[in-house]
Amino acid sequence: MTAAIEVRDATRVFRQSTGVFSGDRLIRAVDGVSFSVESGGCLGIVGESGCGKSTLARLILGLLPTTSGEVLVEGQRLADMDRKARARLIQPVFQDPFSSLNPRRRIRDIVAMPLQAQGITGRAQADRVEEMLVRVGLPGAIGDRVPAQLSGGQRQRVAIARALVLRPRIVVCDEPTSALDVSVQAQILNLLDELRRDLGLTYVFISHNLAVVEHISDRVAVMYLGRMVEQAGTDALFAAPKHPYTQALLASVLTPEPGLGVPDVGLGDLYPDPANVPPGCRFHPRCKLAQARCALEAPVPREVAGHRVECLLV
Amino acid sequence: MPEAPLLDVRGLRVRFNAQVEAVRGVDLTVERGQTHCVVGESGCGKSVSSLAVMGLLARGAKRSAAHMRFDGQDILGLSDTALQRLRGDRMAMIFQEPMTSLNPAYTIGSQMAEALTRHRKVGKQQALDRAAELLTKVGITAPGLRLAQYPHQLSGGLRQRVMIAMALMCDPELLIADEPTTALDVTVQAQILRLLRDLQAELGLAILLITHDLGVVARIAHKVSVMYAGEVVESASATDLFAAPRHPYTQGLLGCVPIPGKIKRGDPLGSIPGTVPRIADGFTGCGFRDRCAHAMPQCAVSVPQRDDGAGHRHLCHLS
Repeated sequence: MTAAIEVRDATRVFRQSTGVFSGDRLIRAVDGVSFSVESGGCLGIVGESGCGKSTLARLILGLLPTTSGEVLVEGQRLADMDRKARARLIQPVFQDPFSSLNPRRRIRDIVAMPLQAQGITGRAQADRVEEMLVRVGLPGAIGDRVPAQLSGGQRQRVAIARALVLRPRIVVCDEPTSALDVSVQAQILNLLDELRRDLGLTYVFISHNLAVVEHISDRVAVMYLGRMVEQAGTDALFAAPKHPYTQALLASVLTPEPGLGVPDVGLGDLYPDPANVPPGCRFHPRCKLAQARCALEAPVPREVAGHRVECLLV
Repeated sequence: MPEAPLLDVRGLRVRFNAQVEAVRGVDLTVERGQTHCVVGESGCGKSVSSLAVMGLLARGAKRSAAHMRFDGQDILGLSDTALQRLRGDRMAMIFQEPMTSLNPAYTIGSQMAEALTRHRKVGKQQALDRAAELLTKVGITAPGLRLAQYPHQLSGGLRQRVMIAMALMCDPELLIADEPTTALDVTVQAQILRLLRDLQAELGLAILLITHDLGVVARIAHKVSVMYAGEVVESASATDLFAAPRHPYTQGLLGCVPIPGKIKRGDPLGSIPGTVPRIADGFTGCGFRDRCAHAMPQCAVSVPQRDDGAGHRHLCHLS
């Protein structure tokens, strides 16, 4: 069976201009990342800001070309597909429903846009828009409003309706609930989960909130400075994280349990800088367990008890 | 007789225009050396309440209260200049986005020193020495280098540490922190919260912390007030609130939070149907009744304040 998404050694380099007299800096936002998502699965991707998770989302969506490596969607190379074919297969839901919806257009037209682009018009278009709005739990009358008249949760429902109106196979959610209040976040997570099961969708779910990722994903990948340092089934990853970075990340989750206090994450004061990647293991300057060889030797991913881990010490 | 709380606010009301009241009769007390968290969703009035305490509301906003006392002194009737002397000195505030609260055109050092030179009779160099000392205290290595840098040269976590150090320049007794870790990564959030906790233990700071994150509340608060639609609907010690939430809104909110390992994947999270109502003039009864599964006819008329003992109170017909 072909995987819904297969990413092979994908790398994306950005050139950052540092001024007139100094040369450009190269930022390897995604650096040799490989993974696959099986059809109907949900892969959660977590990591701190600047780890490359959003760049990876853009590579999977085909919004950015890879510098090297390739992305296959349902067995086809993304680079060989035209925009229309890609849009029928894979769709995004972004973080901020305030900026991802055109403020001057009516909701009905926003959701109809992907259909319009595919040449589906008239009655067929109107019916599918209507059906989709109902499916995401919006009242029919909302079609005539503009985004400013909607709440944050309603706007995110509109963004989901727009993503699903072409009946894609894969949805890439980049921080879909980060801008929402907890009660609304729960509504949107429940909706996304229900839609995935009912429509047989495949998700890539990117979030900095580990509790959210744990709830919705069946597999989790942890990114650090452009690399995927650990991948495993959600339960295995949360029960027994192997990589020291995953352990620190999980330790920093503040669950609403009073009496546990604030954990000591033990990552020190050094913040990762994507433009200045340390040699050897890129996590070694912040790693509690780091040894001398960690600064010299770059780890390669290995299979350890069902986890794919990139650490010399595991 | 127990010591009077450092901050004691009764019946705080804030309105922005003739029709809309953003804060409707809020009581808040912060004890010395303790953390009081105000938690709620966007638009509930939590930030406005904290700005009202600091006297930092936008022009045009009207503030009233039964009383508002800081260390026993009435601060409601203080003139702007008297309030300015207090602000940044005995009470200080930090905000969510350290990038927008720091001036991009001045170095960290000159911004930090200003806090001290404005409130105390000290020279620039003395103020800079104090700034360097505080940067070290908040866990910043090479303070000399940081003082000469501009805000854009620092990471988000470092900027928030600078904000905290700046707030501490005049040894405040009360620190008001509005979503201090919301813009930060979880790993950095934990570090900043530990820092606040350690500083509190060392300096006896009273902290009023505004947040939407129940995880933060559980881990750092002594006392919690849950706000909804401009009112405190429940307040209790952190232990009591999480163990036995009384108000349907608090119960609903706690059910919405995914907790790793606690809720089975595929099971829906709890959620609160509907949206926050717009509270216009003439509104009576409970602001939560349209979203509440237990709503009764009398909820549209009035809401009683219930005392559950041990400082636990909630605003509801249900006990």
